Amino acid sequence: MRQRVITAGGGGNLSRVAWHVGVLALLAIVLYPIVWVAAATFKPSSEIIGSLQLLPSEATTANYDRVFEGVVGIGVGRFFLNSAVLAVLSVVGTVASSALAAYAFARLRFRGRTTMFVIMISTLLLPFHVLIIPQYIVFQKLDLIDTYVPLLAGKFLASEAFFVFLIVQFIRNLPRELDESAKIDGANHWSVFWHIILPLCRPALITTAIFTFIWSWNDFFGPLIYLSTPDKYPLPLALQLFIDESTGSDFGALMAMSMLALVPVILFFLFFQRFLVEGVSTSGLKG
Amino acid sequence: MSRATITPDRSAEVYTTERTGPRKRARLPGDGLAGYLFLSPWIIGIVLLTLGPMLTSLYLSFTDYDLFNSPEWVGLENYERMFSDARWLRSVEVTALYVALAVPIKLAAALAVALLLNGKRRGQGFYRAAFYGPSLIGGSVGVAIVWKMMFSDDSVVDQLLLTVGIDTGGWAGNPDFSLMMLVLLAAWQLGAPMVIFLAGLKQVPRELYEAAEVDGAGRWRRFRSITLPMISSVVFFNLLLETINAFQVFTSAYVVGGPNGQPAGTTLFYTIYLFDRGFGDYRMGYASAMAWMLLLGVGLVTVFLFRTARGWVYYSGDSGDKR
Amino acid sequence: MGALKRFRSAATSVVALLAVASAAACGGGGSGDETEAGPATLRFSWWGNAERAELMQKAIDLFQSKNPDIKVTPSFQEFEAYWQKMATETAGGNAPDVMQMDFSYLREYSDRNALYDLKKQEGKNLELGDLLEGLKGAGEIDGALYGVPTGGNTWGYIYNPALFAQAGIEEPKEGWTWDDYRDAMTRIAEKTGVPGGGNYIGSYYNLELQLRQEGSLLYTEDGKLGFDKARLAEFFKEGKLLTDAKVVLPIEKGVQIKPSHSLELDLVAGDLGWDNFMARYDKGAKAELKLGPVPTDHPGTLGQYLKPSMLLSVSQKSEHPAAAAKLVSFMVNDPEVGKIFGANRGLPPTNAQRAAAQLEGPLAAVAAYEDALKDKFGKTPPAPPKGAGTLEQAFIRIAEELQYGRIGVDEAVDQFFTEAEETLGS
Repeated sequence: MRQRVITAGGGGNLSRVAWHVGVLALLAIVLYPIVWVAAATFKPSSEIIGSLQLLPSEATTANYDRVFEGVVGIGVGRFFLNSAVLAVLSVVGTVASSALAAYAFARLRFRGRTTMFVIMISTLLLPFHVLIIPQYIVFQKLDLIDTYVPLLAGKFLASEAFFVFLIVQFIRNLPRELDESAKIDGANHWSVFWHIILPLCRPALITTAIFTFIWSWNDFFGPLIYLSTPDKYPLPLALQLFIDESTGSDFGALMAMSMLALVPVILFFLFFQRFLVEGVSTSGLKG
Repeated sequence: MSRATITPDRSAEVYTTERTGPRKRARLPGDGLAGYLFLSPWIIGIVLLTLGPMLTSLYLSFTDYDLFNSPEWVGLENYERMFSDARWLRSVEVTALYVALAVPIKLAAALAVALLLNGKRRGQGFYRAAFYGPSLIGGSVGVAIVWKMMFSDDSVVDQLLLTVGIDTGGWAGNPDFSLMMLVLLAAWQLGAPMVIFLAGLKQVPRELYEAAEVDGAGRWRRFRSITLPMISSVVFFNLLLETINAFQVFTSAYVVGGPNGQPAGTTLFYTIYLFDRGFGDYRMGYASAMAWMLLLGVGLVTVFLFRTARGWVYYSGDSGDKR
Repeated sequence: MGALKRFRSAATSVVALLAVASAAACGGGGSGDETEAGPATLRFSWWGNAERAELMQKAIDLFQSKNPDIKVTPSFQEFEAYWQKMATETAGGNAPDVMQMDFSYLREYSDRNALYDLKKQEGKNLELGDLLEGLKGAGEIDGALYGVPTGGNTWGYIYNPALFAQAGIEEPKEGWTWDDYRDAMTRIAEKTGVPGGGNYIGSYYNLELQLRQEGSLLYTEDGKLGFDKARLAEFFKEGKLLTDAKVVLPIEKGVQIKPSHSLELDLVAGDLGWDNFMARYDKGAKAELKLGPVPTDHPGTLGQYLKPSMLLSVSQKSEHPAAAAKLVSFMVNDPEVGKIFGANRGLPPTNAQRAAAQLEGPLAAVAAYEDALKDKFGKTPPAPPKGAGTLEQAFIRIAEELQYGRIGVDEAVDQFFTEAEETLGS
């Protein structure tokens, strides 16, 4: 019953039931809008806006049928595949490069560290909209437009300061005695990083992986600017093709596809969040 | 396990001032090369992808640049114009209000949920995914539609308010409530800080709680004197990043309120106005100046937060470093 | 500090490179085959949904089978996303060879030297003789041709006849006045409880309509405003009265239902708008909708004109202007293409395509509406000046604040004129 003290509830069956009931009640409110969207995907398209009814007057799968028709001969599976390729490569690149940079910032001392740290934080402060055109020109000079390189290069080069900073915060929370004693035993920086730091900041790495996956999965602006050929489109670009001002938007298909697009992200989250539970025990290392 | 280890120290200083005293160097020699090696991907990235475009935008902020023709140098004109631009002033006001409301509400909710879901319970994975759910959808048109529906004039929310005598006529169309609607949207999508809090809670050594329990500390006391200090680095991270992000709120607000910040400009956030100027009106020089003005403003807030952090953020790993 | 110094010097050189690149983005024109449409690969971008993409692909396939040495690679986005991408690509000097163009963006791009003068291709690879009367010359600016219309539409009145009947009012007939219109809205709202319409001051085009009926224009030939403060004040004042009398759709509701339109949800008795939107409204509305004449205080002058609903333009930087012109020509002239698109791009732009298109339901009604108006159309105005898009947004925003009661009529007028001076002045 170690966990007891960390969580809000106490022991006993009654309080456990009360906990579940409480959380479920809260969830009912939080999830209502999503349930509404899920239900809306079975409504005729015209019934979606302006009707608050949760359940369709007449359930139809027409919205899903239209989604599975694909766009100009490109099957919907293709868009999922493109999104998956981008998301997985983003995760690999971001976790690896951010962890390396974070270790340097958190544990190593070298000239210019503070300056570079300040530069890194300042990249968080500038709205990306004003960077789009200069960045586009860089990739265009390199003849990389309409490839996935512009979307992935930054991921492999630790350009997301958010994650570097996140991992820095976690590493700094690890007792320094660990690396010191390893170093006394003759370990070099790489083995300290690989054998001690990485395993211990797993929650941060998992968090980084989850966020990178989701953000890449939902990213609209990057693919919009850099990709032109429709069969390279990821899901968010395919989604907007159900919207049109003059001939009318197909909100039914839009929402059906949004729901389908949620499935992989939920699975990814469910799978990886388990590693957050297991956690890291630093017991016996301190004091 | 003395209580002393959990008192906050001043180690956050390491970010703002170089602490490479002679004694330090004597103790930890030769990190230089390793540091640059570990940092090399980041250095390449910053030079190739980030710094160039950033400095370009700084340069453009002193020019009149319409995207298609060469920029023309105008000096400080763009910066001066902002202060007499009524919409710019409004966007600052709207954004500041939003930051002040959304950040504390979202963080408090995220921390509460994280505490609730921390620990071994049946179905914990499901619950976490469920609370994360709203954040998974991102800022698509679908979200905009749903959220407006939830607060429309015949929605549950509005009907409930009516029974206590508040007639909003639907939040989405009411200038007095539209901002609040977006604040709630931010709080609804609390997944990111929640997960970070959860990860932080995992780092708290259980022995501390056991020791505290032996000492007879109550639940609140344990939260105040163990949990909070031990996750303070994560709290700081979330506070800083959520603040920075809130200043730059864009996607969700754009799909709900459009480039004009409907209704009646009450959701005209800073970056929405910036984007509208840059890509709607082709005044990228002005937009760049706005961006750098924002960097300056948020930079000040950031420095301020780092300064206060010295007083309350605690890093286990830096404690051995001291003195 | 060595590292930082190295950063700085590296950064300065990057800036220099970028400055050159963006300057070069607009330099020299299209090179290469100006007359001979030899083997080429064309990039072709448009905005629109999946449905339009299917139709475009069919038309492109047809074009490629008839021109085997020209390959077309398509790209498409939704309207707003399209313009963000287009701005970025043009800034980078990487615009597609052929691009779909909106009338209100035409000068935005042509004034910045981003478009190719298609006059150079007219009679060679580009055939324009069959264009509908109102669309001829619509893409011309100062003697150069920057866009060819691929469809036309006009401003009209879309309404629900059932509500007129329920309120015991005659359906609108040609010659009804603005007073009649306001009166009808009031009576419908009183009798049926359904707002008589949206507040017409919310749209810039209603002001244009009134101005044209009076014999003036929204923008003068030299790109200045075609009306003064007093005229705008009058326009706003009339609308304000409607809002105060609660006979039009409350602005709160209009904002709340976005991105839908009130006619789609059966929330109003009628509204002034683009006639081809009829198809969209009809899809959503339960009521049977009809197209009627616009109100006018000047008998015989309806103020309507045939507007290019979209155009095709060729990039100034295109390396294959001849092949690009060929594609444009094919898209507006080929009867088969007219059949494929129907009214997806607005009603077909040429006589041949109009004859070939088989229109049904609401679209047939739109075609009939425009046919009946053919001789009453006024001259299509020149493309709106650079900054017109910004100004239209400002108008919408200011009219909205007026309807919310956040500003008064005088303040609204002042705000608009300040904005106009800033936008058109330079």
